[in-house]
Amino acid sequence: MTAPILIADDEDDILGLLRLHLTRFGYEVVAAHDGEEALRLALERRPVLAILDVSMPKLDGLEVTRRLRQDGNVPVILLSALVQPSDVERGLEAGARAYLRKPFTGAELREQIEAALA
Amino acid sequence: VIGRRPNPRAVDVYLAVGVLAIGLYFVLPADSVPQTVAYTVIGTYGIVAVLVGARRNLRGIERRVWYLFAAGLIAFVVGDTIFDAYAVGTGDVPFPSVADWIYLSAYPLLFAAITIMVARFGRRRIRIALIDAGIVTCGFVLAQWVWVLAPTAHIHEDLLDRSILIAYPAMDILIVAPLAGLIFARSARTASYVLLALAIVTLLVADEVYYGHGVNYRWLDAFWLASYVFWGAAALHPSVARLAAAPEEAAPRLDLVRLTLLGAAVAVAPVLLAVQTARGRDAHPYAVAGFGVAISALVLTRVASLVRAFDALHAAERRARLDAEASHVALIEQNERLRELDRLKDEFVGLVSHDLRTPLTSISGYVELLESDETGPLNEEQRSFLAIVSRNADRLLTLVNDLLFVARLQSGNLDLDIAEVDLAELAEHTVAAAAPRADAKGIALMLECGNGAIVLGEGGRLSQLLENLVSNAIKFTPEGGEVSVRVGANGEAVVLEVVDSGIGIPEEERQRLFERFFRASTAVARQIPGTGLGLHIAHAIVGAHGGRISVTSEVGAGTTFRVELPPATVKAEVRA
Repeated sequence: MTAPILIADDEDDILGLLRLHLTRFGYEVVAAHDGEEALRLALERRPVLAILDVSMPKLDGLEVTRRLRQDGNVPVILLSALVQPSDVERGLEAGARAYLRKPFTGAELREQIEAALA
Repeated sequence: VIGRRPNPRAVDVYLAVGVLAIGLYFVLPADSVPQTVAYTVIGTYGIVAVLVGARRNLRGIERRVWYLFAAGLIAFVVGDTIFDAYAVGTGDVPFPSVADWIYLSAYPLLFAAITIMVARFGRRRIRIALIDAGIVTCGFVLAQWVWVLAPTAHIHEDLLDRSILIAYPAMDILIVAPLAGLIFARSARTASYVLLALAIVTLLVADEVYYGHGVNYRWLDAFWLASYVFWGAAALHPSVARLAAAPEEAAPRLDLVRLTLLGAAVAVAPVLLAVQTARGRDAHPYAVAGFGVAISALVLTRVASLVRAFDALHAAERRARLDAEASHVALIEQNERLRELDRLKDEFVGLVSHDLRTPLTSISGYVELLESDETGPLNEEQRSFLAIVSRNADRLLTLVNDLLFVARLQSGNLDLDIAEVDLAELAEHTVAAAAPRADAKGIALMLECGNGAIVLGEGGRLSQLLENLVSNAIKFTPEGGEVSVRVGANGEAVVLEVVDSGIGIPEEERQRLFERFFRASTAVARQIPGTGLGLHIAHAIVGAHGGRISVTSEVGAGTTFRVELPPATVKAEVRA
């Protein structure tokens, strides 16, 4: 069984959208609804990549990114509706490989995933 | 009669004739009948002038004041004429006679007139003037008593005779008091004011010399006659109308006339004491002491009121300073609140943007999946419906982006990521992306590119600029029209022109076109959707790149937007 991609978003609709895209691209998916769950699943399932929403309950995407970067070298793509230049800057400072603005297209998502896994 | 334009030249003619007449008076044989008649004629001349002037220049109570003057002067002239009639007829003037009564009655009339005039300046305004007038009057009365009244008091045995004799110099006191008030109540001096003061002063000087020396020098007649003439001139001069107006200044200035008069009044007591003692005459110690005390008291009152006024001024100044400080603090607080509001607004816009984007992500995302046949093949109708959903989601997203951008513009943090950008290349991309929209409306979309259209700037922002201008051009051009995009360089600037054959913009609205949320009436009338943000953003982007944007348009024929940007070869001043 190949290592999955971890996705985390508090919105089920977005989570479903990500799952559909990723499945279509041929990846395994493990989904979390908040930051703590994302961290727990990251430890348990050892994903190859994490795609995290920034605004999440319990632990936000930036904090999860920081901890993931501390503990290992899982690449992180942040996905957010916070689109100001300062928001992007904060995300990249936290250690994300890429910062994808919502709304996103399937093509953009695929491009970022392939770049992160290359 | 009022309303006829007063002629200031008339006063000059009147004065010239008066002076000539006085000269003629002295040519005539002394104490002759012709000279006596001349005296009466000149006096009458002045009185007539007073009456004419009052009728022509004044009305109401002001006019009646001058009628009072005329009455006083008439009493003088009648009295004098009777004296002269006695002198010419019998060679002997009886004392006392009816002439004394008539003559003396003039003073109360003049006193009343001047007093009414001064009182009309307003009580509050003449307070200081009254104190000053009191000081001068006290000085005058003291001098008058010691040097004029006391020496004449013993001339006649009979009480009535003595009283009448004393009454003459005493009457001058009656005039001095309101005259001083008149002089002190006004600092702004009109011609009429000066003439009136001159008339009263000449009268007093002649009187004083006469009573003081007890001799009727011939030259004294010149003063009395001049007094009549001046009085008439004062009434004739058009500025007499302004004489009654309240003085402009709240506190009169301490000018030279005032200082001289006050100084003289204060000096009367010590000078008198010294002179009388030196001459070995009665120094009237009780009078000197009494008036000295009165003058000192008035001076003290005056000083006290000055100090009080100064203190009040000082307090007002301190209050004003405190007020200014308080409003300064209020201003700082208000600024703080405005900054806080600005911050809240930014936060709000950010929040709205975030919360709109999240559902838009689902809408666009799932539509995209449907369109990619993820859930099975779609028929044409389903596909066209989904295209509508997708297009509207895009429109909503553009609006959200524009709002966010404008909010950033307002907080002034539009940071550019500067690089060399080929505007021609950007234009190609923009035109290619807009081609489907143009095709859908049957609009011919053309692109003309020249060489060297390289600028320093942020590609993303310049794309946004191009996109705004091109989509506007397509939006406002009717079906079958034309839109062309031209990019080139003219040596001084890189020029971008977007030309359409659209509905046009009325001239009076072109100035406001780049304002936030402004929409042209032609766009509103045709119900063409929009937010009025596109051109505002375009203007801001051009401004941030150190360029300028201009518009030419003809309603019904089309519009051209022209953007000039500094070329990359020039060290462009790009606002960061």
